[in-house]
Amino acid sequence: MTSPSGTPRIRPGRALLLVLLGVTMTVVAGVGACRSQPADDFGAPLTSPSAAPSAPARVPVRDGAPQPAAAVDVPSRLRIPALGLDAAVDAVGIDASTGDFAVPPRVDRVGWYRYGPGVSAAAGSIVIAGHVDSAAEGKGAFFRLGSLKAGDRAVLTGPDGRHRAFDVVARERYRKAAIPLDKYFARDGAPRLTLITCGGPFDARTRHYRDNVVVTATARA
Amino acid sequence: MRILSLRRAASLGVATLLGLGVAGALGSSPAHAKANSQVSVVHGIPGQPVDVYVNGKKTIPDFQPGKVAGPLSLPAGQYDIALTKPGDAVADALLTVDDAEVPGDANISLVAHLNASGEPALTPFVNDTGKLAAGQARLIVRHTAAAPAVDIRAGGEPVFEGVTNGKEGQADLDAGSVSADVVLAGGDTRVLGPADLDLKEGTATIVYAVGSAEAKSLDIVTQSIDGLHSAPGGVPSGDGGRADGNGSLPWYGVGAIGILLAALGLSRPAHARLLSRR
Repeated sequence: MTSPSGTPRIRPGRALLLVLLGVTMTVVAGVGACRSQPADDFGAPLTSPSAAPSAPARVPVRDGAPQPAAAVDVPSRLRIPALGLDAAVDAVGIDASTGDFAVPPRVDRVGWYRYGPGVSAAAGSIVIAGHVDSAAEGKGAFFRLGSLKAGDRAVLTGPDGRHRAFDVVARERYRKAAIPLDKYFARDGAPRLTLITCGGPFDARTRHYRDNVVVTATARA
Repeated sequence: MRILSLRRAASLGVATLLGLGVAGALGSSPAHAKANSQVSVVHGIPGQPVDVYVNGKKTIPDFQPGKVAGPLSLPAGQYDIALTKPGDAVADALLTVDDAEVPGDANISLVAHLNASGEPALTPFVNDTGKLAAGQARLIVRHTAAAPAVDIRAGGEPVFEGVTNGKEGQADLDAGSVSADVVLAGGDTRVLGPADLDLKEGTATIVYAVGSAEAKSLDIVTQSIDGLHSAPGGVPSGDGGRADGNGSLPWYGVGAIGILLAALGLSRPAHARLLSRR
């Protein structure tokens, strides 16, 4: 173990091992860091207007009697096989104190925006929002929403028990201050399902995520 | 020749420019022109179907009481409007309004109704189509009946008080169903209702009181204007921090250790060589 001169000699093999180990760790760390970055956005949500009705020959005339409230078109469940998700859907509106979407407080449930298009809508954006997580209850129904890929399927169950399937076409991430919500809450255009949750960096002081993650899926014919 | 051809080229160019300019002027409206107005016609005269003429042209034939027609898309300007008994000539109109002013880019309801003294009248109202906050609905009430001043109540509470013929009131409320009735101003004498009104979110619901108190023909006619909705202010959907996208921090640590180890490994043979050289 000692050289003829008597000084301790390091075997080159051990040094090489150290170098190899170090390089391997660096490469693995690099790959890991890259893979842990959120995936890039893809696709564009549909905003094309639905076909404009041709100009009527006669002026339309309607009855002026008060109209009864229209039948509710509430989805009862949302299923996304790619995420192993099968969540109950609540009909929700606006949080009166903030003017924000009233996402159901329970993280295993998701909320359908009851003022917008319903499950069988012929036009417009059916909006469902759910928690990515909560401090009180942990991971939410939409924890992995951002990992959906183009072509993944989402299925809504209507009040009559019938299903309506949608294909994912876009996933986008916006800072909350810059998200074009009017586009996602549009009541016209091609029929589509819009799924919204939180994402991006988390501010532990304000307990808010910086971004919203939005997945758009088009109705299957 | 050359000068001539140049001149000809120049004049051709001018002609082309003029042509383009004229075509451009014809093709696009001038910058100050306003968009068309949307005009709905409301029939609030009980028992009298009419033909509606706009500028001498029969526009809404056999228009029945209690109905709402339109909207018509009309450019700003002055219009002659006439109501006749169905099939009658314009000259024998029941009611004519000449040079009615239609402003540009407005939403207007033109209401055929009875005035306070029971005579037929045609009154234009401009509808507030301003955007509503998410979750809200707009209720507009208009007194267009031959009746005294009234209070309009929602859920038993007066919302609009002392409204007289030709006047209106409006409020933005939480969307939902309300039970509305109309009572004589300041009292509990119900003259109309109660009626269940579905105040749809993002929609203006306009309620007209029509008819005549004396003839016991009071009724309501409703009109709705949708598309006034706004998106919610935001979608707060997480406060746990578990989904923070910055999951790469631990990896940076591993990488740093790796670089240190590699550096150590490289430095040791050099160190050994230094030692062995002594």
